[in-house]
Amino acid sequence: MQLGFLVDLHLCMGCKGCEIACKVENEVPLSTWRLRVKYVDVGTYPETKRTFTPLRCNHCENAPCERICPVSALHYIENGIVNIDKERCIGCAGCVMACPYGAIYIDPETQTADKCTYCAHRIASSLMPACVVACPVEANIFGDLEDPTSNISKYIQQHQGDVMVRKPEKGTNPHHFYVGGGQVHLNPLASKREEGYNLFNNITHLPLGGHH
Amino acid sequence: MVHETLAATNAVVTLDVALPEVFWGWYVTMNMWAKSIGTGLVFMLFLLLRRNPEEMKGLRTSVMIASFIMMNIFLLFTLADLHQPFRMWHIFFYPHLTSAITVGAWMATIFVGLEFLMIAAMIRKEKCLLTKEPVAFFDKTLFWVTLLAIPVTLYTAGIMAEATARELWQMPTEAAQMILAATLSGSAAIILLGGNKLSESTKNFFASILGLSALMAFIIYMSEYIFGAMKAEEVAAILHYVKGDGEYATMFWIGQWVAYILPMLLIALYRTSKSNAMLNLAAILAIAGLWIVKHVWLVIPQLLPLS
Repeated sequence: MQLGFLVDLHLCMGCKGCEIACKVENEVPLSTWRLRVKYVDVGTYPETKRTFTPLRCNHCENAPCERICPVSALHYIENGIVNIDKERCIGCAGCVMACPYGAIYIDPETQTADKCTYCAHRIASSLMPACVVACPVEANIFGDLEDPTSNISKYIQQHQGDVMVRKPEKGTNPHHFYVGGGQVHLNPLASKREEGYNLFNNITHLPLGGHH
Repeated sequence: MVHETLAATNAVVTLDVALPEVFWGWYVTMNMWAKSIGTGLVFMLFLLLRRNPEEMKGLRTSVMIASFIMMNIFLLFTLADLHQPFRMWHIFFYPHLTSAITVGAWMATIFVGLEFLMIAAMIRKEKCLLTKEPVAFFDKTLFWVTLLAIPVTLYTAGIMAEATARELWQMPTEAAQMILAATLSGSAAIILLGGNKLSESTKNFFASILGLSALMAFIIYMSEYIFGAMKAEEVAAILHYVKGDGEYATMFWIGQWVAYILPMLLIALYRTSKSNAMLNLAAILAIAGLWIVKHVWLVIPQLLPLS
């Protein structure tokens, strides 16, 4: 079994239901996110549009976070999920430095690394990840990539040529796919970040141990 | 490169709460800086032993203590940078050997342990392990400690190479820079520690190492500065922080001048004037500048948004 995710960006409407469901399900502390929806505005008025891209851990086949973790706190489980053992983590932040997707953060409450686990605890009980359940338009598609009859495998087959991953050049082989994405959605260098143009300005980050 | 499309798309991120920018800050700079001096001193002491053993007298203990102190500063800042420092023992009991952090921690621990034994042997002045005289034990062990100093100084380059997200840190380059940082700071430190105990020819020798290390490190930085942007768009984006009016441009150039350019000039002047003041100033500047250079290179890739 190789679990994977696919987000159809044609469907996503940026409601952030997935983000909230993830926060609640995993008790993600304030100022940290396992799953975020990025908004990018494209074009010049009046010809503008807003794009939405849910971003979470890619559960890479060749995961840099797993490789750099000095104590195997980040590890693979049989279904392909890159899981984290918070009791073992020493908080060196090596994984934060290694993840090309910025998907790992230091939990300000436990002072350990944390990230999306595809809701491994729910999957163990044969439940879908919280974000999948919450999505009102079924933009999040989750399943076994090795099973050709699974929804995700069928979706990938149907949309061949339009399936993308983030930063393929990193050689991480992500198990998280996007349909309908483009550079603006998936490449952080394809959009500007201007001070004062963010919908949420002046975010207060909870203090972390160590020095930053 | 994709950022060239910005003018056409006018794409602006309007909502994305990215991670706090700098995760590895000045604690890690201190870590790398202190380790460079600690291992560099061992390299220099070994070279001195091979080149002019009679000048080792009076320097064995003092140089090894200086190295030991710097290695402990390195370990202290490594520990302090952990968010769960009391779980440090996990690295020895749950080691993950694909991680350069694990391998480095093990090697650094053995290295510091051997240094402690060498210092203890010299201070106690008694027959010690393998019934050798302290000096014989010291000199014999120094060979193995020097061998160990190579991976100890290089492993941080391994960590940087494993940091897949940070395109700027490439393994062959970082490995060269780590060794050069050790030879630069080690030669500078032994010049200062050795003082009048070193003969003129030995001072010349260490001055040459200092000057050549500065030159080679400077060439590598300039190569990356000028050509790095031509092949990888992430590197190009990162180097903007040290170019023009970039956030770290001033600090970058202060570092290059203090660590490399001024010491090179002072070494050149020393070789003609034989002024010890110039040599000592070059050594102090190289050690101080190395911290700045390391810090800039550590921080700038972390400023780039990953999402």
